[in-house]
Amino acid sequence: MRWFGFGFNAFQQIQTQNNPEYSGLDAEERLSSPTELKGHVNRDGRCFEFSQIRASWSRRASLHSDGFVNDSCRGVIKQSRGCRDVFISESHLTLAFLDRVECWDLQSSDETPSWTMGIDTQSKSSAVNLPLVPGGYIASKPPFFHSLSPHMQAKSLALGGEHVILLTATGAVYTWGQGSHGQLGHGGLLPEEEPRTVEALWGMKMSSVSAGGWHSVCISDAGDLYVWGWNESGQLGLPSQRLRKTSEKKTDQQEGELSQNSSTHQEEVFISIQAFPALFDVTPLCEVKTVSCGSRHTAAVTTSGDLYTWGWGEYGQLGHQSFSSSDEPQRVEFFRAQQLHVVGVVCGPWNTFAAVANEEGLAPEYPTKPLNKHGE
Amino acid sequence: MSSLGSKILSILPADEEQFPLQFSDKVEPSVVEVLRRCRKQLYGNAACASRRLNAQIILDVSWERLNTGTWRHVDKEWRRVYSYGCLFKVAALCRENPSQQEILEAVRTCDMGLLMGAAIMDDILQVLVRILQNEISKTSKDEEKSVEGVAKKLKTEGPRSPSIREEKAVPRIKCPSLESFSTNYLLPLKPVILEGIIDHWPALNNHPWSIEYLRSVAGFRTVPVEVGSRYTDENWSQTLLTVNEFIDRYILNEDGGKSRGYLAQHQLFDQIPELKEDIRIPDYCCLGEGDEDDITINAWFGPAGTVSPLHQDPQQNFLAQVSRSFFTIPLQTCTNPNAELFPEFSKAPYLECVLEPGDVLFIPVKHWHYVRSLQVSFSVSFWWS
Repeated sequence: MRWFGFGFNAFQQIQTQNNPEYSGLDAEERLSSPTELKGHVNRDGRCFEFSQIRASWSRRASLHSDGFVNDSCRGVIKQSRGCRDVFISESHLTLAFLDRVECWDLQSSDETPSWTMGIDTQSKSSAVNLPLVPGGYIASKPPFFHSLSPHMQAKSLALGGEHVILLTATGAVYTWGQGSHGQLGHGGLLPEEEPRTVEALWGMKMSSVSAGGWHSVCISDAGDLYVWGWNESGQLGLPSQRLRKTSEKKTDQQEGELSQNSSTHQEEVFISIQAFPALFDVTPLCEVKTVSCGSRHTAAVTTSGDLYTWGWGEYGQLGHQSFSSSDEPQRVEFFRAQQLHVVGVVCGPWNTFAAVANEEGLAPEYPTKPLNKHGE
Repeated sequence: MSSLGSKILSILPADEEQFPLQFSDKVEPSVVEVLRRCRKQLYGNAACASRRLNAQIILDVSWERLNTGTWRHVDKEWRRVYSYGCLFKVAALCRENPSQQEILEAVRTCDMGLLMGAAIMDDILQVLVRILQNEISKTSKDEEKSVEGVAKKLKTEGPRSPSIREEKAVPRIKCPSLESFSTNYLLPLKPVILEGIIDHWPALNNHPWSIEYLRSVAGFRTVPVEVGSRYTDENWSQTLLTVNEFIDRYILNEDGGKSRGYLAQHQLFDQIPELKEDIRIPDYCCLGEGDEDDITINAWFGPAGTVSPLHQDPQQNFLAQVSRSFFTIPLQTCTNPNAELFPEFSKAPYLECVLEPGDVLFIPVKHWHYVRSLQVSFSVSFWWS
C-alpha cells in the first residue's frame, strides 16, 4: 500500500525538506497536491510500507508493516516493536500491542510510557480498534481510560474536537460531549454527559463513523453518507454563507472594486449548523466506502476507488492544487490522472492521507511481505 | 521597508531576545515553535508570503481553540496567542509599501485581536491601530458627504414622540444631590430620569457626536453588529462590520433597509479610547460598592425601530442618551410588552418615558424594561453595583 499526503506540512509531517541547511523557515508549510510518503527503510536496507497512519496537528505516526511506529518528529520509536495499532494526539502517542496498551508523553524523553493497561489475551473481547480498547476507550490526554458499558457492544469509536461518536455491533450510533455546534445530532445544541443514541438514524444500520473538530459523519450499510454539526467552511457539503461571501469578495477585488453588500444570494438557503443528521450525496455514481474527518474538512473514498474532499481547504488539505475551501464535494483528480485506486483515507486536523492500492487493486493485509529494494 | 513598516518596528522590542513569548503549558510546544518562527521572521528578511502564512497558522490554530468549549472557559492563554497572531500578521502586511487595502486589513486585524484576543505587550494592538489610523488619514481622499446631505438623509419620517400619560410617566429631576438621589430613588429602587447631569460631556459639547465625527474617529474600525429585528427572533444574528459599513447600511439605509442592524451592548469605549474621552462616568455611580474599574460601559447605536425585548439587568443601570444635536432622539421604555405572552404583565404597575439627548434614565437592578428607538439613536449605558 502506498500513501499520499497533502495539506498542512509546517512540521514536515508529510514531506521533509531536502535541504540539509533546513532552518524550519523555508519548508513548504502547505502542500496542495498529493505527495507520496516515503516508505520506511530499516537498518538492513529493507523498505517497509505503512499499514496505518494517524496524524495530529503537528505530527504523523506511521505504523510499519514490520510492527514499528515512526513519529515524524522523533523518528522510529524502538519501544514500539510488535505494535498492532497506533493513535496520536498533540500531547500523546498511544500504542496497542497484543497484550497491552501504552500511552507515551510526546514532550518527555522518558524511556517508559506514562500510562499502561494490560489486555487479557484469552478474553473474547480483547480486540483493539483504537481509540477503543476492551472495556472502554482511550482519550487523547489524561485521564486516558474511559469505561464503556459492555451492553453498548462498541465496534468503533471516533474522537471529535469536543465530542465522541460510537458505533455499536448492531449498527446503532451514539454521541456525547459538547453539542454547541450541533455535532451530537440530537437536534439541539445542548451537551450530553452520557452516550445518547442518535434517534434520527434509528432503524438504519450504520457501518462506520467519523468525527471532525465540530462535525460528525457516518456511512450506512447501503453506502449512504450522513452528516451533521458545524458547516462554517462547508465541511458538511451544505451551502456555506461564509464561503460564498469570501469568494464574492475575491472576485470583486479582482475586478478592482470593493464588494458591496450582495443581495443576489438572499434567496439561497445557507446552513451554518446542522443539528440533525442529513443524508448527503457525495456522487450519484457510486457508494461511499470509507470516510474520515479533519478539523474542518471531510474526505470520502468511493467503492470505485475515487477520493472526494470538501470543507476547509486553506492549507491544501482538499488536494485540488489550490488553497480554497469548498462546500461541494470534488474528486481529487490527481489519483485518476495517475491511474491510482484509492482504498483508504485518514485525516489529520489540517491534512489528508490517502492509501492507494498496488496495481492489482488489492490492499495487502497486515503483516505484509516487505518490499525489498535490492531485487531479491 | 516603508515608513509605516519602520514606525511599527520602532514600537516593538529592539530584537528577538527582548521579544517575550511566554505561555503556560496550556499552549502546546508545537504552537510556540511556530510563534518563534514568526518572531524570527519579524527581525529577519523572510519573504512576505512566508511571514503571512506563519502568522495565519497562529491565527487559525488559536481561532479553533477559541471556538472550543464555552467562551467563558476559553483559556486566556489562547486569547493571547490569537493577539500575537494579529500582531505578526499586521507586521507582515505593513512591512513593504502596503496599499490602502492592506492598511485597512491591518486595522481590521488589530480590531479582531482587540475583540477576541487578550492584551499582550502593554496592549500593543491598541498602539498599533492608532499608528495605522494616522496612516489612513494621511493617505485617503475622503469623499466626505456634505453635512447638509447627511442631515437630509437622516430626516427619516419617524413617528412623532408619543405622548406619555402623566400618571405613567417616569419622574424627572434636575441635578439632584447624591443624598437625595440615594434616599428617594436608589435605595427604594425607583426609576427616574436625571436631567442636566451629562451636560458637561464633550460628546454633547465641543465634540458633539455626529455621524461625521464618528466616521472620522472610528470609521474604519470593526465592531460587532446585531442583525435582525430583535435578539429573541429566529433570524437574528451577529456580524462584524466597520463603523462606516454599519452607518451606510443600517443608519443611512443604503441597502434599502431590508434588515435592521444594531450596534448593541458593545464595550466600544475599551476598543476605541478616543470615544471614551468624550464621556464621563456619572458621579452617582460612587454610591455603589464597586470600583470604577468594575463599571461596565456599553454603547448602543442604531436606527429607528431597534428593540431590546423585555429583560432585566443584573446591576444598576444608568442609560445616558447622547446623539447628534440636529434631532431629538427619543427612547421609549416599558410600553406595551407583548400582551399575549405576558397577559398578567399589562396589569402590573408600569412606567413609560421618552428620552431626549442629555437625559439619563436610572433603571434599578432587576427592574424589567423594554426599549425601542423611535429614531436614529446613540446611548451609553453604565452597569454598576
